[in-house]
Amino acid sequence: MILRRPLLSLLSAIAFVIMLGPVVILLGVAFTAGSTLTFPPEGLSLRWFAAALEYRPFIDSLGTSLVVAVLSTAAALALGIPATLALQRGAVPGKAFIENLFMTPIIVPELVLGLALFQQLMVGFNITALGTLVIGHTVLLLPYTVRVVGASLALADPRLEEAARGLGAGPVRTFFSVTVPVMRPGIISATILAFITSLNNVPLSLLLTGPGVATLPVEMLNYVQSSFDPVVAAVSVVLLALSVAVALLTERLVGFNKVFGR
Amino acid sequence: MTPVVQLDGVGHRFGSAANGVAAVSDLDLAVRRGTFTTLLGPSGCGKTTTLRMIAGFIRPTSGRILLEGTDATDTPPERRNIGMVFQSYALFPHMTLTDNVGFGLRARRRPAAEVRKRAGEALELVGLSHAADRKPGELSGGQQQRVALARAVAIEPSVLLLDEPLSNLDARLRVQMRQELLRVQRETGLTAILVTHDQDEALQLSDTMVILNGGRLEQQGDPRTVFPAPANRFVAQFLGYDNFPEVPGFGPVTIRPEHVRLTAAVTGEEAATDSVELAGTVADVTYQGSHCLIGVDTAGGRLNCVHPGDDFRPGEAVRILLPRHRLVELADAHTPAGAR
Repeated sequence: MILRRPLLSLLSAIAFVIMLGPVVILLGVAFTAGSTLTFPPEGLSLRWFAAALEYRPFIDSLGTSLVVAVLSTAAALALGIPATLALQRGAVPGKAFIENLFMTPIIVPELVLGLALFQQLMVGFNITALGTLVIGHTVLLLPYTVRVVGASLALADPRLEEAARGLGAGPVRTFFSVTVPVMRPGIISATILAFITSLNNVPLSLLLTGPGVATLPVEMLNYVQSSFDPVVAAVSVVLLALSVAVALLTERLVGFNKVFGR
Repeated sequence: MTPVVQLDGVGHRFGSAANGVAAVSDLDLAVRRGTFTTLLGPSGCGKTTTLRMIAGFIRPTSGRILLEGTDATDTPPERRNIGMVFQSYALFPHMTLTDNVGFGLRARRRPAAEVRKRAGEALELVGLSHAADRKPGELSGGQQQRVALARAVAIEPSVLLLDEPLSNLDARLRVQMRQELLRVQRETGLTAILVTHDQDEALQLSDTMVILNGGRLEQQGDPRTVFPAPANRFVAQFLGYDNFPEVPGFGPVTIRPEHVRLTAAVTGEEAATDSVELAGTVADVTYQGSHCLIGVDTAGGRLNCVHPGDDFRPGEAVRILLPRHRLVELADAHTPAGAR
């Protein structure tokens, strides 16, 4: 393989180094025994992880991040699945337009969206910072759930439901024994994508944090602005580990190939 | 005997009543128990729409559908007891073959033991017992087709509906599956309605063939009655009657290319009284090995002819003999829909 396509192999190697190099360096820095962000690390220790655990805002914001990620993912699925079912299987007038409407949160700059939500919900309706974060992230995640679940429906034979009806299954039985299993890989991959997207989001969260309520990435940003020690590297590793854990769990449950296309 | 399926003036319009398109218009049809009926016609003739109305997936915009003598026009598909085989097979990808085939019985809340037994029997009927625990994705197209058939048969439907079930198979397999389909239908004694655009399929399988065009019935009957005597130009053309010559002393007639006889113009052979004779010039010759396809220009238009030898060349003058008993008089001179 390497011999047959040397250029492709070389480019792949460079791409890997560019993508993974900084991550490897970060990993090294997080486990340093020294007190500066330098690489290679000056000895190995877990002291910066301990320091991160003692830094109250990180622990609180990790809790907030997880709550927001779980709630907004659930909400985006609860809204997105019925929407995509209607779009894929129903006779909806203006289908293409509505589909595109669901994509707009990806197109609208997140800072603009964040500012709008901040002004309308927090200032206008006096909704708490946590509530606004959940609503904001739900809007952000909706395109993922609609598209990814929709893709698994679009790939499936639309005659499957008719086949079930013809065989004597009513609409409810047809939905649970045919439509849901067909959507399953899509729902799982949408859940993971949405969860990770919410967990790592900065621009939207930045504008929707209130006093004492911030997500972990935002708190990290705040921390880096004032101090520059390996604590933030240690926290990054935790965030990375969370995302990787979710991905590995998916691999275990369904397999990546099934989730991300065929 | 009550027909299993009866259509009374059934029509379906897509779009609004004022400016919609009629897919099917005023169709009457009665299907007798235990028979094999085919709905035959070119794409867009309304055959699939008709089948889907019988299944209950679309509702007629006019007329009534009776199943087993009762009005079922407004009955949802799950209460019609129909077994449908789809062109795309529509097997449930997440279920084993046994579960696919048993689906209809489980929906009818039959005991698990009975479901397993009857699903097993249905799979055996199509020769797939050995693959009972596999998923549809692991099967070839022909095998998937058999599973779809077994699944439809397992519920002992009052009518088996087949929507171009063989069109996704390669030519050799298609011919093989026709036999298989006929065997299963005969063995189970089921009433079957099959939609196809393939006249060979219709001729081989049908007890009754129903030829549709533009949503209307053109002709129906037993293939042995319909094939030698197409009622009109559309049916004739669809069944491969390529020639519509103007023959002196006749109205609109048609004749199959294989029934046109050619002889050399110079032979002094007497005009046979049982044939009509025309004069013409060979326009083109296509060599096919065992025979030639020869196009001949006559005063009454072009004639296509299947000729058993290779003894004519373009430009030669020929005598054309049309056996009188092979000339089919057409009831109408109407232009087929495609040319309108």
